[in-house]
Amino acid sequence: MSIAEKSRETVPAAVDVPRRRRGKRVTDEHGKHVRVWELALRYLLLLAVLALTVGPFLWQLSTSLKGPTEDIFSSPPKFLPGEPTLHNYDRVAQTIPVWDYAFNSLKVATANVVTNCVGAALAGYALARLRYRGRKVATLVFILAMLVPVEGIIIAQFTTMRELGLNNTLIGVVLPGCIGAMNVLLMRNAFLNLPYEIEEAAFVDGANTWQRFLRIALPSVKGTLAVVAIFAFMGAWDDFLWPLIVLSDPDKFTLTIGLNYLHGTFANDERLVAAGTIIAVAPLIALFACLQRYFFRGVGEGAVKG
Amino acid sequence: MTSPSSTTAARVRRQLPTSPWLFAAPGLLVVGIFILYPFVSTVVNAFTDRRTLIPGEFVGLANFRELLHDEMFWIGLRNSTLYVVGVVPALVLLPLLLALLVQKNIPGIAFFRSAFYTPVVASIVVVGLIWVWLLDERGLVNSLLEAIGVGRVGFLSDQWLLLGSAMAVTVWKGLGYYMIIYLAALANVPRELHEAAAVDGAGAVRRFLTVTVPAVRSTMVLVGALSSVAAFKVFSEVYLMAGPDGGPAGEDTTLVMLVQRTGTGLTGRVGYASAISVVVFVVTVALMLLVLRADRKEDA
Amino acid sequence: MRMPRRALAAAVVALVLPLSACGSGGDDSGSTDASGKVEGDITFQTWNLRANFKPYFEGLVADFEKKYPGTNVKWVDQPAEGYADKISADAAGGTLPDVVNVSPDLVAPLAKAGLALDLDKAAAKYKKEYLPGAWASHEIPGTEGTYAFPWYLNTGPLFYNKSLFKEAGLDASKPPKTYDELFDNALELADKSDGKVATLANVPTIEDFGRYGVELMNKEGTGFAFNDAKGVELLTRYKELYDAKALDSQALTATPESSGKKFLTGAVAMNPGSALDLGNFKKQAPNLYKNIGITDQITSTGKVNMYVMGVMVNAQTKRKPAAVAFAHFVTDAQNQMSFAKKVAIFPSTAGSLDDPYFTKEDGTDETRVRIAAAKSLKNAVNYTPVLFSEQMKTELRNSVAKALQGKVSPEEALDNAVKACDRLLQQQG
Repeated sequence: MSIAEKSRETVPAAVDVPRRRRGKRVTDEHGKHVRVWELALRYLLLLAVLALTVGPFLWQLSTSLKGPTEDIFSSPPKFLPGEPTLHNYDRVAQTIPVWDYAFNSLKVATANVVTNCVGAALAGYALARLRYRGRKVATLVFILAMLVPVEGIIIAQFTTMRELGLNNTLIGVVLPGCIGAMNVLLMRNAFLNLPYEIEEAAFVDGANTWQRFLRIALPSVKGTLAVVAIFAFMGAWDDFLWPLIVLSDPDKFTLTIGLNYLHGTFANDERLVAAGTIIAVAPLIALFACLQRYFFRGVGEGAVKG
Repeated sequence: MTSPSSTTAARVRRQLPTSPWLFAAPGLLVVGIFILYPFVSTVVNAFTDRRTLIPGEFVGLANFRELLHDEMFWIGLRNSTLYVVGVVPALVLLPLLLALLVQKNIPGIAFFRSAFYTPVVASIVVVGLIWVWLLDERGLVNSLLEAIGVGRVGFLSDQWLLLGSAMAVTVWKGLGYYMIIYLAALANVPRELHEAAAVDGAGAVRRFLTVTVPAVRSTMVLVGALSSVAAFKVFSEVYLMAGPDGGPAGEDTTLVMLVQRTGTGLTGRVGYASAISVVVFVVTVALMLLVLRADRKEDA
Repeated sequence: MRMPRRALAAAVVALVLPLSACGSGGDDSGSTDASGKVEGDITFQTWNLRANFKPYFEGLVADFEKKYPGTNVKWVDQPAEGYADKISADAAGGTLPDVVNVSPDLVAPLAKAGLALDLDKAAAKYKKEYLPGAWASHEIPGTEGTYAFPWYLNTGPLFYNKSLFKEAGLDASKPPKTYDELFDNALELADKSDGKVATLANVPTIEDFGRYGVELMNKEGTGFAFNDAKGVELLTRYKELYDAKALDSQALTATPESSGKKFLTGAVAMNPGSALDLGNFKKQAPNLYKNIGITDQITSTGKVNMYVMGVMVNAQTKRKPAAVAFAHFVTDAQNQMSFAKKVAIFPSTAGSLDDPYFTKEDGTDETRVRIAAAKSLKNAVNYTPVLFSEQMKTELRNSVAKALQGKVSPEEALDNAVKACDRLLQQQG
């Protein structure tokens, strides 16, 4: 839809005239005008989807802000906190060393992003662009790995990790997912979609494999790299069972394990749990907000300039 | 060899004494040691009667024979299959439409893009809690339905409605995820194509079908493959909404739930659960081949 | 070009071959002798107690290290979720801590695999310090021995919502005392509220069958027996409740958390709980707290149900004397008493329940509940058989659900459940 609308603007200049008179001059990313009714429809749709996607979280946010005397199970439910307070966040920090846990999670997630971006880009490039015997087999290996039902292998993974002496280390937490098969296939797909001509030119110019990869191919797939980065960060940040099984030392626990302590043995405090979930989600949303513009970069553009 | 010129290729090789395998090696090693190798032990276990704490003995095909007579296995196979049928078309199409909706830079779009992504980053446990609360007999949705005269619907007590509700949650949570895969792909669509189509006087729907869809087709295939594999292996959504037993009398159990239920814990029947894992693996491989085959046919 | 590939393959093989995927229990030292000097480093693992009781456990460790110079206890705590998975991985991988906080259903498989120390042999002298019922809760039918020190106990009353009782025209000061009264009240509540108010939120569990007076297992512990006439009777009555909507319509998919929430929101009229819940009601649902009614657990046997937590010693620990001494130290009368005063649980040591803390009224609801519970604990039973695994619980719940839905008769449902559980019992080896 959007692309269709966009291109319509390129045709006759005459169409622009009446809108200009109305004084409404909204432009898209290419500096072209957008019709008002289209824009209104677009926002209407955006708002509808917005209500569906973030509504439930606002409820969670609201619960986390409710004061100790408020009935959070009243019926009909109340959406707005009567006496909003940040006290619950304070209590989370008092109950568990939330910053230490968050720092461990940050270490694990950052390592996961780096290894996945590098490893998946390299492997994806090898699968998409390089010619060698066994390429199909290599591709198959990644496809099969993606299909393995991980629920059944976790104890075997743990035994492997123990034999390597990496149980109870953050490295052990990162390793099994440090180059995800799906990320490799995503990168492969991105490289396959690049026009081959650009690289061919460099090939004739005498650039070697490494140079072609680094200078030409990689800058053209920034969008997919950003996707891999956010998937890798999210995967590491949200993972619960694997870090729980690998780690024994509470000093090394990640945030998801730590926040699970908020589910009390003897009593559950919904406000505390809600505050904990907000703490866990906020960095991810922030990260996405920072990276989102990369998803919209033109690939062809990057290749020419890169 | 498809290299444009063998002399260039030879030169490249001289300059850089590395093999393409070096590019793929880190990935192959990680995936081999931490995913495929443990899975080999799962395959071996499938032919034993191993329990969590008791080493197994070889039992041949006994586990697979037991599967054939296990009512719960067939229920699981049915539900996992239904999940693919119900969820995949929605996850191939809706995120693409959503990506088109947020692709254009209009004021405030960055906010919407991030907001649409929130269900993806939220932990599935939280998502489950929220939806259970919304769909409860006295929850918000039922209050609305009662107000407009439809009456209360047992979303969380009827086995089919439960499965449907879980599917809705999967789609809801997956929208943003596949949306960004589409966005990355849409960024590759050369604008000139649309402009040419517009000059030809093609309408919005036709341009969607003749320009957008062909341009992102390989991504649609990828999303189809990824989402069908994920759907067949569904666990969390059903577990959280229908409960650990898999709904009333276990009628909503999926195959992976069955793997988890039979195989984990100190009394887990690792051998039997491994046999179910192997079935899950074989079916997903078949699914993948099916999607890729469909892709190739369209190519021809 | 070929060399690197072969080298790679060789590297993979070299890396992979020495790794065995099967986690064996390792070499079994076999000895249950715990005599010798109490010294060395041990690890103590608790289950979700760090967030609220960190100072208590740090003090406990310090006291022990002071009492036995040369010991060093490392305390680790695991979160609520995934505890069985964590222990399974550690047990299979040979990385189980020296002293572990367990529940009876976790002890049984560990003991059978030779991973839990037999305390009848290693620590028989401490047996008399504990309530006989609590000590016996870590015995395993078909296996000689006792495999964990009993730690804290819990039980509690039945809570009910007085305003819902009143709305249905029932006397809110006369809650049901017997199963007959309970079922009659439930049917009336459902009838008067047009099916909008259910009385119970959960389908009967194995402990409900036990409390109803059903013989759960045969004497030898080799098979289940809850499909007798009594069991069928209980299930038949639950079916009546379900049909009349006196059992919540979402009961078939309920979890303890979800049914607790239903009680909090006033959708169901009764819910079992413990002294701990009172504080919870006060905080989370003040409106309900004003209308809360408290009555005794209903039983046909005269013995209430209790939950037992235990502390077991890893049979393969290298520091057996220290591990046994520490497990005993954690569960001795003095330390259990001070733990019980921190949170509303009950000590399993003999005589502790006669402490004025558990006998003297001070007019508050909390104390009243605590005293009633302490009194009932003296002959309480952990009805859930230690051999009743998670998989068996699922079989029972699903069979019960089928009976309630009317897909099979109560007799058939229980026969099926017993058959399935017996098979699982044999497969456990």
